[in-house]
Amino acid sequence: MSEEAKAPGGRTPLRLAVLGSALLAVAGAGAFYDATLQRGTRAGSGADGAYRVAITASACEPNVLSVPAGRRAFAIDNRSDRPVEWEILQGVMVVEERENIVPGLSQTVTARLAPGDYEMTCGLLSNPRGRLHVTATEASAAAAVAPTLKAFIGPLSEYKVFLGLQGAELLRRARQLAAAIEAGDLAKARTLYQPARLPYERIAASAARFADLQDAIDPAAAYLARREQDPAFTGFHRLEYGLFGDGAAEGAAPLVPVAERLVADLSTLNERLRALTLTPADLADDAARLAGQLASARIPAGEDRYAGGDLADLEAGLAGIGKIVGLLEPLVRTTAPAVADELKSREAVAEAAVRRLHGPDGFPSYDKVGADDRRALAAAFQALAESLKKLNPAMGLA
Amino acid sequence: MKLNRLLAGSALALAVGLPGLAAAKVEPSLELVQPLADYKIYISEKLQKLVDDTTAFTAAIEAGELDKAKALYAPTRASYEAVEPVAELFGDLDAAIDARADDFEKREKDPNFTGFHRLEYGLWEKDSTKGLAPVADKLLADVTELQGRVVDLPLPPEKVVGGAADLMNEVAASKISGEEDRYSHSDLWDFQANVDGAEKIFELVEPLVAKDDPAFVQRVSANFKTVDDTLAKYRAGQGFELYDKLSESDRTVLSAAVNTLAEDLATLRGKLGLN
Repeated sequence: MSEEAKAPGGRTPLRLAVLGSALLAVAGAGAFYDATLQRGTRAGSGADGAYRVAITASACEPNVLSVPAGRRAFAIDNRSDRPVEWEILQGVMVVEERENIVPGLSQTVTARLAPGDYEMTCGLLSNPRGRLHVTATEASAAAAVAPTLKAFIGPLSEYKVFLGLQGAELLRRARQLAAAIEAGDLAKARTLYQPARLPYERIAASAARFADLQDAIDPAAAYLARREQDPAFTGFHRLEYGLFGDGAAEGAAPLVPVAERLVADLSTLNERLRALTLTPADLADDAARLAGQLASARIPAGEDRYAGGDLADLEAGLAGIGKIVGLLEPLVRTTAPAVADELKSREAVAEAAVRRLHGPDGFPSYDKVGADDRRALAAAFQALAESLKKLNPAMGLA
Repeated sequence: MKLNRLLAGSALALAVGLPGLAAAKVEPSLELVQPLADYKIYISEKLQKLVDDTTAFTAAIEAGELDKAKALYAPTRASYEAVEPVAELFGDLDAAIDARADDFEKREKDPNFTGFHRLEYGLWEKDSTKGLAPVADKLLADVTELQGRVVDLPLPPEKVVGGAADLMNEVAASKISGEEDRYSHSDLWDFQANVDGAEKIFELVEPLVAKDDPAFVQRVSANFKTVDDTLAKYRAGQGFELYDKLSESDRTVLSAAVNTLAEDLATLRGKLGLN
């Protein structure tokens, strides 16, 4: 964990990929197949060792993997011809995920895994899921509850208040958007679209845990087999496509059921968020994951293809991360003031990097944001992600 | 005011807390997270009401509307009384908003005597809104500041859970005796608000203690009901009759129930591993 956190972004995956390829070449395909079914194949060794998973056009290879409990690294090779995402799921909950893995490249995903059975998503959302068995170890059996649990009850409660308030606001705004669409007032719906998205982005660190809902609420056409024509293209971006993209030619009618479904899904999301039990380590883990995802996928590629509202989304996502930073920073400061200082300064840098692009008329459409600006944004968010990853170890939670 | 409350609290803690310490040590549970989140929402709603009501109350004072101001005094401060476990986290604001004349060397003449009771003194003792506008302005600024400080504040669980007993101690120390609202005699409003605030905390954590100690939960619930039922006899209009109307026998009933509640609720922290 600490090794990876210190490594500059991008270097570790490449090194692992090279090591992994070498190992594969030596081991041979038969041995590889055998080993993966038994206990997974490790590329490299020690704390940096990663389990290799290749994503093909139709599945993961291997599609069944067994690893010991603890912090584990997975080297994900995209052997399909499209950018893909890879996730570890427990039931409908996302444990860890990596988006926008480019064809031909490898990325490393690190997850802290408790013993149990998990699933892996493998590329397209329609592909069958792989299975991941996590076996118990001496360390996982001995892992005790964090000694300062009491200190986290207040911050965890406060974060749940935040989720509750933002979730309620999200539902209120989505209902307004749906009402405008049902009334056939697309001009009004266009003004309501971006505001309705913002609370969702603010709670993204937690909402992203519910894989089924995320796939219904926020799927990008790029991840679907038939893209915009795919029946699974639902949620916000489907509305965005119908309000701002080529879908606008078809008028309001096709959007009415999409908006209704979105409101229903957001309502379910609120129920799940209320029932969600967060552990102390979840706060920093979720924030770090979101910051890393924004840096590695959202910022380089953009997501709001039709309306271009990525910068407003980004600012809202950062506000959600900021809520967690504000809650954890005082706790970290007592044990590791240097980590707390770095966190606050990197948060400020990321805020400034977004704010810098704000003009007198608001944020520009994301297609107007050039490669240099995107690189600067990505660097700021990646630095913030690395800083967030240091929080749990600094609080004795890793 | 503070000293009284502190002494009452410590005496109770000593009296009932020690036997609890001998029992097996309980660790706090993440089950507390949601009740505490719900309490924060409750507090936020009460603080919003406090700011809204204080805006109307102080506007009446500044407009010289004496009767209206008198009518709004007790219902306005009820929201403050209900959230005292959180409001009292901020000593400076609590003193500015809710200190009584006894807390100052020169009593009513002290320039630092501000807030609700200073306004109460002016409205009833002087029977006038004259000269109260600056005090009213300050009160509105202080309750708004309180709301602002609480917005992003993670609530300390031990303060919230301990707050249930603190509220009942507060009732025992100053509401039973009728010394809190000595000019307006609207003490029963405050009484009910303190009880509501304590009852809310108890209800939120009740599921966590019910499984281990159903008899405790039953006893506390019964005593809350006794207090609520007794106070209900004095309801009038939107609120309550003047404190002077409280009969000696009802005062005795209330006093016994409140003291038992204060003692029982003082064990909540220990039961939830928050000591």
